[in-house]
Amino acid sequence: MDWSLILSNTFRQMVGTDAMYFAIAALGLNVQFGYTGLLNFGQAGFMAAGGYGLGMTAWYFSISLWWGIPIAIVYALILGLLMGIPTLRLRSDYLAIVTIAAAEIIRLVVRSVRFKEQFGGTDGIGEFAGPFREVGSNLGIEQGNKYGFWVFEYTGRQFWTLIVGWILVAIFGFVVYLLMRSPWGRVLKAIREDEDAVRSLGKNVYSYKMQSLLFGGVVGAFAGMMLALDRGNVQPDNYSRDLTFYILTALVLGGLAKVSGSIVGPMLYWGVYVFIEGVLRGMTSDGPLQIGGVTIIQSTQVGQVQLMMVGAGLIALMTFRPQGLFGNREEMAFDDR
Amino acid sequence: MNVLKSRAVRVVFVLVTLLGVGLGGTSAHAQDSEYFIQAQVKEQQRDENGRPDNQPVVGVTITVTAPDGSEVGSAATDDKGVALIPVPAKGDYVVRLDESTLPEGQTIAATSNAEQVINESTFRTNRQIINFFTGESQRVEQSFFSRAAQRVADGIRFGLIIAMCSVGLSLIFGTTGLTNFAHGEMVTFGAMMAYLLNVRGLAFVSFLAFLPFIDDVGRFHILLATPLAVAIGGGFGYALDRFGFARLRRKGVGLISQMVITVGLSIILKNLFLFFFGGRRKPYRDYTLQEGLNLGPITITPRDLIVMLLSFVVLMAVALTLQLTRLGKATRAVSDNVDLASATGIDTSRVIRQIWVAGGALAALGGVFFGLDEQVGFDMGTQLLFLMFAGITLGGLGSAYGALVGGFAVGLFVETSTLFGVPTELKTAPALLILILVLLVRPQGILGRAQRVG
Amino acid sequence: MTDEADLTEVQEAQPLSQTALAARAALSEVAPVPGVAKPDPILIADSIRRNFGGIAAVDVDHLEVQRGSITALIGPNGAGKTTFFNLVTGFDKPSEGEWSFDGRSMHGVSPHKMAALGMVRTFQLTKSLTKLSVIENMKLGATDQRGERWWNGLLPWIWRKQEAEIEERSDELLGRFKLDHMRDEYAGSLSGGQRKLLEMARALMTNPSLVMLDEPMAGVNPALKQSLNRHVRGLRDEGMTVLFVEHDMDMVHDISDWVIVMAEGRLIAEGTPDQISSNPDVIDAYLGSHQGQSLLEDE
Repeated sequence: MDWSLILSNTFRQMVGTDAMYFAIAALGLNVQFGYTGLLNFGQAGFMAAGGYGLGMTAWYFSISLWWGIPIAIVYALILGLLMGIPTLRLRSDYLAIVTIAAAEIIRLVVRSVRFKEQFGGTDGIGEFAGPFREVGSNLGIEQGNKYGFWVFEYTGRQFWTLIVGWILVAIFGFVVYLLMRSPWGRVLKAIREDEDAVRSLGKNVYSYKMQSLLFGGVVGAFAGMMLALDRGNVQPDNYSRDLTFYILTALVLGGLAKVSGSIVGPMLYWGVYVFIEGVLRGMTSDGPLQIGGVTIIQSTQVGQVQLMMVGAGLIALMTFRPQGLFGNREEMAFDDR
Repeated sequence: MNVLKSRAVRVVFVLVTLLGVGLGGTSAHAQDSEYFIQAQVKEQQRDENGRPDNQPVVGVTITVTAPDGSEVGSAATDDKGVALIPVPAKGDYVVRLDESTLPEGQTIAATSNAEQVINESTFRTNRQIINFFTGESQRVEQSFFSRAAQRVADGIRFGLIIAMCSVGLSLIFGTTGLTNFAHGEMVTFGAMMAYLLNVRGLAFVSFLAFLPFIDDVGRFHILLATPLAVAIGGGFGYALDRFGFARLRRKGVGLISQMVITVGLSIILKNLFLFFFGGRRKPYRDYTLQEGLNLGPITITPRDLIVMLLSFVVLMAVALTLQLTRLGKATRAVSDNVDLASATGIDTSRVIRQIWVAGGALAALGGVFFGLDEQVGFDMGTQLLFLMFAGITLGGLGSAYGALVGGFAVGLFVETSTLFGVPTELKTAPALLILILVLLVRPQGILGRAQRVG
Repeated sequence: MTDEADLTEVQEAQPLSQTALAARAALSEVAPVPGVAKPDPILIADSIRRNFGGIAAVDVDHLEVQRGSITALIGPNGAGKTTFFNLVTGFDKPSEGEWSFDGRSMHGVSPHKMAALGMVRTFQLTKSLTKLSVIENMKLGATDQRGERWWNGLLPWIWRKQEAEIEERSDELLGRFKLDHMRDEYAGSLSGGQRKLLEMARALMTNPSLVMLDEPMAGVNPALKQSLNRHVRGLRDEGMTVLFVEHDMDMVHDISDWVIVMAEGRLIAEGTPDQISSNPDVIDAYLGSHQGQSLLEDE
């Protein structure tokens, strides 16, 4: 097994595009779930809103890519209102149910033959990222060249996406940090603790929850945009239901209700994920791994094992360390109700 | 504590090995095969410029038979319209497309044939490709009435299955407040267990072949495999509560945390199924190919008819159990008010345990029935989950009768929505509409009662 | 520590304040019959009914609460007192009924608007926001905060001055409620009695005109009770109206100007504390559900 390759992949992925768009999505989810206590299980839907907002510009609307950003934001807002209006007055499970359902339906709609004209069906939409990449080359980042140092080497295309992406992470991280120290953030945190108490103090809890859902959703849409720009296309299966759960796992790993948690969590998540993948692939590269003649795992099953470990990790964290790897249990911002 | 832990580990281990021994072999078998028949089903369409623009047709059952009429294999087309069927060797085969599985309004194109023959001589590489083309139905347009009757019949069948799967979900919510996002996987689990017994078989019971319903390689007839799968499903529910959620409740883990834990469980189970079973949909061995019976305007296979009748009987039994038996009354009391119920001497944790068992068993039965209808797949239950949620919300979260009524209504609604112009591929989308409308208009559902505040 | 200090402090009997005397004088002319009109009502409820599965948990024909008074709402368990509170404050919706606060109809008004209009409540089970510090709990109570609009959250200079004022007022109230030494602790680390105090202090941050307290004494140790008593009296002396649900008859007798009795969802008696303690209907109601326990005996 090539340990140096595995480790260099691990380190590269920790700051790679996957960790980057996970971090943006996790920042949004953290506002909703970590700070406000809203169970948004459909962050993938908001991300799809972002991705398709960009993708549809050239494909369907025949307009410049840059219009995609306001379009994506509008999509995310509409989606948030659709999810929030019926549920935010009710107990928290309903939001979870509706968001998970909405994300699933969005995926069905965008991959459908009926709406292929708008969303490109199962093949999705490609060839819209050109103007974005052009900005990079205009700034002197040649798409074909290699950039970076040591194990952190990326093609110019990835490098440009990474720079923009991590700048967005920094911006959103700072915005969330500021907001959560403001009286607005105080109201959100109080809602997470006990919304009736907040209501009894004259605050419109419904409106604050909606603001939180929409804010986190728009941030999620930006994550979807970065995903689309990185891949150069939008595909329905990139925005599967379970994507939300992986982001949630990464967020819990880093620690809920902390800005650092939503950035460090995804980095760790991808580090561990790629490390495990490397090890499992190494073990199965010369045929299935067998113990005593019984096949334990074949190379085609590596993905499933990785995801099983994600699920197990989520359960273990919620059971034993709900405050995340680095959190302090005392400060655990997650209220058990 | 340690005893509990090690027992939990053992139970999980047994379940995993059970799955592994059973399903692992099959998928390995499929992949070990060197020869495949690759059937591609395409819908003939033309784009605006009149160029051919063929679309894959999803979910069409393709069956390969040997010249002597024995079935070699069968599969449903995936989202690329492709069905891959392993065959033992190059040879003569008959490839048949099951026209009843074509989407609404499509038939085999005039230029194509529902049955195509492959000769050993044409089988050049180890993968023989066969194309089927479909087109808009050339048949006389069926009257709205007869289409409606057919959709309603399908809707009743689907609604009964959803209702059956939902009872456990709703009752677990009612008694513990937990929304179980892994309930879809409990449905898949049942279907998988029946598949394990029915198709893969348990070699070590082959000595029982003298008994009816068991053959000489230890495969169980579906009539025997189903009750066994239901029992295992009940056991699974038991294990989940005993070694999982009951302990979390005792530990004082909050409901929101528990909900996130069910999400983790769902991820694990789904990938476990994928690991052992593979990504393709596969049918059970028995009653797969049946001629439909014509009952007036409705065509239905005897299998589906029997599934419907059995579902109905089971649901009636559930309703009567809730209404008449001690357990049923206790269940309703606990879901009404846990504190009050325990104050009146009901052992709530026992009732909750029993609900997990019953819910797991019903979900498993629903899974087997769903698998009989639409083949077994690793994500079949996951796809039902959201319809179950819509159903129990409509019926009233936490109410058992609500789950029956709501689940049934949602299944019926989803199947009949295609009558009103909803494309088949999007037929589940209107369920989201139901969900949202119910929450806006009557969040407690049809049969639910408004919650008391404070 | 605080508790002991309070104990010594309140041993001497407290003379009635001017406002107390005024409140009692105003109510002295009112006949002790259920649903009687008051000279200057702040809260008026008409035919409020709430059914739970066919049983009327609350069925109040007419009720008025006198402005500037301390009114106690008592009754045996299950009498519908808390449900009545929930209905009046908008936390629950009545099956039918009309009520007004300060001359304004409150039907269909959402609970946060009622609170913003000056009708603030506390809860039987204290709702301290445990993962927020005591001072944050207090600051949350202030109304009309500019920084509570999300876009302003990003522009601290817009709300910093107001925040400082709020903090000052919070500190002043914390001092008055003897919670200043806990200022920066998590609210979750407070004792049960301290949480009751915090909840009351937090409610006062909204500048209410009617304070509704749901069992302020439940779970509070005897020493702290005296201090709470004093705070409740202080509210009236500052011009607020207090309506409270209580089981502790000593407190009811000590501080209330007027007592309203509910049983089985209905209003069965009203009057001054003295009139109530000798009212046979009230004794019957309590005997019915308490099997011989004396009305004035502590539960």
